[in-house]
Amino acid sequence: MPSRALAAAALLAPLVLLASCAAPDAGEDAVTETGGTLVYATGDAEPTCLDPHVGGNYPQALLSTQYLEPLFGRDAEGTIRPWLATDWETSEDGLTWDLTLRDDISFTDGTPFDAEAVKANIEHLQDPNTASSTGYLAVEQIDEIEVVDPAHVRLHLSTPKSALLEALSQPWTAMESPAGIERGQDENCQAPIGTGPFVVDEWVPQQRVELSRNDDYVATNPEADHDGAAHLDGIEWRFIPDAATRQAALASGEVDVIDNPLPSDIVSAEGQGITHIDAPRPASSNRIELNSAQAPFDDIRVREAFVRAADPNPGIESLFLGTAERSYSPLSSMEPLAYADPALFETDADAAAALLDEAGWSERDDDGTRLKDGERLTVRFPVSTDQSTAAEQSLFEQIQENAASVGFDVVLDPVDLSTWYGALGAHEYEAVSAPYTTVGPDVLRILYHSSGTVPAPSGYFANHAMLQLPELDEALDAAASALDPDERAERYTEAQRIVLESYAVLPLYDQQNHFLVKGATGIATLGTVATPTFVNAQLTD
Amino acid sequence: MAAVRWLAARLARAVLVVWIVATVVFFALRASGDPLEAILGGPGSQAGPEAVAAAEREYGLDRPLVVQYAVQLGRIATLQLGDSYARRQSVAELIWQQLPSTLVLAVLALALAWVLAVVGAIIATTARGRIGRAVNALLRGVEIAATVMPQFWLGAVLILVFASTLGLLPATSAGSSPAELVLPVVTLAIPIAGFLAQVSRDALLEADRAPFATSARARGAGEPRLLLRHTLRHASLPALALSGWAFGNLLSGAVVVEVLFARPGLGRLLQEAALARDVPVVIGAVSIVAVLYVAVIVVADAAELVVDPRLRGPRPAALRMPDVAVGS
Repeated sequence: MPSRALAAAALLAPLVLLASCAAPDAGEDAVTETGGTLVYATGDAEPTCLDPHVGGNYPQALLSTQYLEPLFGRDAEGTIRPWLATDWETSEDGLTWDLTLRDDISFTDGTPFDAEAVKANIEHLQDPNTASSTGYLAVEQIDEIEVVDPAHVRLHLSTPKSALLEALSQPWTAMESPAGIERGQDENCQAPIGTGPFVVDEWVPQQRVELSRNDDYVATNPEADHDGAAHLDGIEWRFIPDAATRQAALASGEVDVIDNPLPSDIVSAEGQGITHIDAPRPASSNRIELNSAQAPFDDIRVREAFVRAADPNPGIESLFLGTAERSYSPLSSMEPLAYADPALFETDADAAAALLDEAGWSERDDDGTRLKDGERLTVRFPVSTDQSTAAEQSLFEQIQENAASVGFDVVLDPVDLSTWYGALGAHEYEAVSAPYTTVGPDVLRILYHSSGTVPAPSGYFANHAMLQLPELDEALDAAASALDPDERAERYTEAQRIVLESYAVLPLYDQQNHFLVKGATGIATLGTVATPTFVNAQLTD
Repeated sequence: MAAVRWLAARLARAVLVVWIVATVVFFALRASGDPLEAILGGPGSQAGPEAVAAAEREYGLDRPLVVQYAVQLGRIATLQLGDSYARRQSVAELIWQQLPSTLVLAVLALALAWVLAVVGAIIATTARGRIGRAVNALLRGVEIAATVMPQFWLGAVLILVFASTLGLLPATSAGSSPAELVLPVVTLAIPIAGFLAQVSRDALLEADRAPFATSARARGAGEPRLLLRHTLRHASLPALALSGWAFGNLLSGAVVVEVLFARPGLGRLLQEAALARDVPVVIGAVSIVAVLYVAVIVVADAAELVVDPRLRGPRPAALRMPDVAVGS
């Protein structure tokens, strides 16, 4: 239909012309101002509850970092720093922890922060009615919370937990006013009360959360570069699900900060007066896990063949445009104890083919897929389109191609989050990529200890690789209870080596966490789960 | 009496539509996932057995599915939409918060679509001769292009041009200025306008050549008078009959537009609730959309009666649906 094509061209030509002849923004001089409202636009989902004790996911962490503070922080090197707690002491057996608390802090409703408040918060996390998932895991080994005096609290544990301080540094275990919690979940979800530099004023669902400055803020934040309250009058926290729209809003000055930018937008940010903050998330790296509990990946030779054939590097370079670096460790590069072994992951299609022959997958059918006793070498790979970005999904397609060249039939199945969890729960997968954000190397125990193959009542289990290796369990258990830092490091290194040598895990890159900023300075990210803090931020327009 | 019967028949149809919609949604959501996920903090939640048991009791999920279905229908019948699993808020309140935003969007988009369609039709009939034929061909092409244009793509182009590059209009809605309505309304209106324009232009051209137009011209009626008094009214009939359908289309298009332009609204509420398996919210929102849809069809039918006196007598054969491409 030439007339239709012509008409479409006539309609679009002016638009395309307009788009192509626009001049890029000139770089602006940074003149900082005190006050003003910073507009932050997030691409993460809108929380269903602003109290991160309830549930406990990353969108809640992003937002609650602005109004809640944890007992401990972690610096860029991964060292634990005091925050609302100033000091700690552990008993010989690792079962009793004495924490010293700051005595000069109040919640924004006037309730003093003290040992009673710590007790109320941990009990709130442990209460089944709170329905906490992430926070609950952090405090589940705490049997009893003893209030020694207002500034001292003693935690009695059921088993030793070397990761306790890291667990308590997470935003999901941050401290809230006991009086606020008392109001009940409905009210507390709308506006939790903390000790942070900002206060929740109003939540307009699907639109924004209004935060205003806490004028009485005492700088407990280890990142704060000044005493007293934040510079900004407030923050308008907006939910903009579409990445291109977020970028357009940043470019046009509607918003000052965005998260989850597209790789192309990160690259083109340079020279547009846009600052890029690269703050990968800690704990686990992004990786593909192979289900070692069922055919064909119950054979380590088949797993190694897949890993040798996958060849993700060219894809990572081209799809992420240099914004993501290949990882060879199950842990994030942000973790001081991360152990990497690139040699295990060298691409070698010939070696992969030889391994498959050896494992009995020597015949091929018409489309080149290998066969064994008439069975096709099929790999079901459900992909959560809510969690995997477009670039990551394209990377999986490239891996699919690469693996096909040695005879794997990788079936990528893009599905929504619920269906994805459904497939995992029913063990209907041979390969999967699942993010996991927490703090510290203890994530290895969550992801690869054999106890992680037992599903929770909701059907969820974290050990998607289905690893059940006694020596790995032993290393992880020893690391979890090791109070000596050297022993802990040694045990975690050993655990990572076992995980990598099992070929059940193909590390890809750090969990991507990028921010683009235009018209503001002083934005730092925390060393815990890399959420941004605006305690030092100033507008520069 | 006839009017009462007319209304009663349509109300009965509305009830039937809501019942079918609620039933389909209820079983589709239950078949595709566990609503406990929504209650216990989203998919992958690691809630303990006590929390799971407590939630099952609290929300009646331990009862047989048929009982849960009956309870849900009872709630709709009594307009008690219950509480959201995920947001721990009343469903009625959530819908009430989001509905105005979507209605404003849909009503403005329909109005704009009508204006564009009528203007296009008038240009097509008033341009005559060889130029007229060329203009007509061009309009036909533009209409088809508009009709088949995917809204997410159209919206993205508009954002790129008018927000990102020219900085003339906001790309997103902060709830503060009328300017932020422009791009979403245009995005939503263009495909509908293309569709309505095809229908009303054909009808207008047909009316323009009809015997009554010829006789009116013979009696010395000027073209503007003819257009306003006779042919336009004639031409608006098929488009009016399709406005109910168009409104339903606008409500579903609102999902795309609301996500793209970060606008609050029923569409986005529905999308998020469906992803979270938040059964009460999905059923409540879909029921409201169904009721609105039926209500608009009733209004469109009534408007037809007003515009076309012939319909007030014995009902003639149904108006022929034109055979044209429909965008989504």
